[in-house]
Amino acid sequence: MQQRPKTIVNATSKDKTFPRLMILPTIIVLLVMTTYPLIFTVFYSFTDYNYLKGGVFKFIGMQNYDKLLHAKYFQIAVLNTIKFTILAVFFEMVFGILMAIFVKSLNPNFQHVMRVLLLLPYLLPTATVSTAWKMMLSQNYGIVNQLLATFHLPVHNWFMETETAFKMILLIDVWQNIPFVFLLLYACLQTVPNDQYEAALIDGANSLQLFWHITIPNIKEGIALCALLRTIDTFRLFDKVNILTGGGPAGTTSTITQFIYNYGIKSLKFGYGSAGALLMTILVLGLSVVYIKKAIK
Amino acid sequence: MKKGLSVLVCLSLAICLFANGAQEQKATVPAAAGKQKLTLILRGGTYGKVIEKCLPAFEEKNNCEIETLDLSFDDLHSKIALDTVNKEGAYDLCMVDGSWMAEFTENNVLLNLSKAGYSFDDDIIPATLTICKVGDDIYLAPYFGNVTVMLYNKALIKAAGYASKDIKTWADIQKIAQVAKASGKNGYIIRGGSPDNIVSDFLPILLANGGWVVDANNKPTVDTKEFRAALDQYISLYKLGDTMDKDDIVAQIDNGNGALAIGWPGWYVPKANSNGDYVTIPSTLDANGKSVNTSLYGVWCIGVCNNSTHKELSVKLLEYLMDKDVLLGTIPEGGVPCRYSSLKNAEVLKTYPQLETVCSSLEKGVYRPVIAQWNEFTTILGTEMDNIIKGTETMDAGLSNAQKQLVDLMK
Repeated sequence: MQQRPKTIVNATSKDKTFPRLMILPTIIVLLVMTTYPLIFTVFYSFTDYNYLKGGVFKFIGMQNYDKLLHAKYFQIAVLNTIKFTILAVFFEMVFGILMAIFVKSLNPNFQHVMRVLLLLPYLLPTATVSTAWKMMLSQNYGIVNQLLATFHLPVHNWFMETETAFKMILLIDVWQNIPFVFLLLYACLQTVPNDQYEAALIDGANSLQLFWHITIPNIKEGIALCALLRTIDTFRLFDKVNILTGGGPAGTTSTITQFIYNYGIKSLKFGYGSAGALLMTILVLGLSVVYIKKAIK
Repeated sequence: MKKGLSVLVCLSLAICLFANGAQEQKATVPAAAGKQKLTLILRGGTYGKVIEKCLPAFEEKNNCEIETLDLSFDDLHSKIALDTVNKEGAYDLCMVDGSWMAEFTENNVLLNLSKAGYSFDDDIIPATLTICKVGDDIYLAPYFGNVTVMLYNKALIKAAGYASKDIKTWADIQKIAQVAKASGKNGYIIRGGSPDNIVSDFLPILLANGGWVVDANNKPTVDTKEFRAALDQYISLYKLGDTMDKDDIVAQIDNGNGALAIGWPGWYVPKANSNGDYVTIPSTLDANGKSVNTSLYGVWCIGVCNNSTHKELSVKLLEYLMDKDVLLGTIPEGGVPCRYSSLKNAEVLKTYPQLETVCSSLEKGVYRPVIAQWNEFTTILGTEMDNIIKGTETMDAGLSNAQKQLVDLMK
């Protein structure tokens, strides 16, 4: 007789105790660190809670949400965030895939060295990366402007001009996060069977055909996962914007999190800030719903 | 055996997680036995550094230990505010910007120093005391005499035919900026970055044009002809230069690439052979104009947190830090006391002649509006101004939006 697989659902009561004990710490941590704050965030979003006023607040219904949805700068922040996320994820995926394929094609010893070197930007703290780039792009002593001036090219006030500020934040974020995409896709590339490439080569396929018909189909699950993770992470972009531009100039780099910080957190209006945070969560869920539905199937 | 070991590992992990979460860590290093420990929360940079230099003598005399936290402007405000709701505060003495006074006193953040026995003496510049009191009760002491000044590059103003004593009107500023721009330099640099920086940088020009951001009843007055005239002038100066953050402004003035900018004494300590220096901000638009106070106070005050667990010792520390001789000793470290005995001291002025400018600015400065919503006020106004300056919004639309939002805020 075929044995039923051992799962919690199929197990006897006695057998269920041990697995339950094993997942209990995780559930406790999840409840304390995620569910409890989430419940209170939802609750406060319907109040006029100001932290400095202590426990004194009143229920104001949907006023916070109404104010947010009608706030011109929130709308600008949402558009900026979506635009930034799409561009950042696109460039990170493209360059990440290319880097992964390039490194895989190298001599095995050299692959180890390249893996470490290419991973370095991702390992640095965001504050360090932002400060370093700020110095490099400085109007006064920045190496970038000095190099451009040497070659008689136009110099810019990179973080203070409306035409360049957004592009610089995008460049820095892409530079820092390409290694993450590279690492995940490099791991996926290891699982692609070599005999498929060999068979294709025998049939006369060129590099582009190998890439499109063999590489991409084999790693598409990894690409989807990478894109989802990068989308969620990029949507929450805050530290680079806060350190480098504060949301300016003229709101061109303002993101949802920066808006929440400026109008909710700095003024200690946590009720308003909570409403902003929830709206942002709903937007992120909307962007990732396709993948989540596919994963559940 | 394996099962038992797994259960033990999981239980240990859960205990560790809860143990870490449960303990409130107030101090990184516990005080030695018998010694009280004070925690000071200060503004980073020169402002906090100057206080830190004074502490060892107090620690020795009072057998205590003092730990300091140096923070950015926004972090300092947040941390003081967030700690307020705790019954026992994490901080004892705090550094406070005058613009937070209304918000903090409304919400009981600061100790009433009058009730704790503290009082001012005649040596402190009277105009700097306005922000420190609510009625007759003292809540703060003016520690660092931050007041806006006009930074300038000596060579560039000389090239425009000016000496520092000749810079008397905003027309002079315009002329110097034009000459510097014509020679390929930044004639006038405005401060960019956060909305608060933009508003603070603009306010002296607004004052010179006879305008202000609120009226006597704290109603917003940003869509007025004075405000528009001031903003027009500000934009015309911006076109003769650029917009930068604080570090780049100081570098530009010092390296001769920028002629003029509004700044604060804490940014730049000029010496005899420095390339830059500062003067009082002009108080008239032109030779025929009416003279008004145009120096904006950004005095860093010190106070005691109302939930401090060492109130008596903290007040004693405050008195010590505000002592005439202690403050005089901070000047070589970059300190700018709000005391006549420091700023008019002949020996001090020989080495630091620029302090005469600071003294004169402190005597006739203007405080930012003392309103609890000032933080949000500057966010709204600064954002609209940024759009107008960068040309993404017209002045009519921007100021009208700002006025409407500010009226809603102040309801």
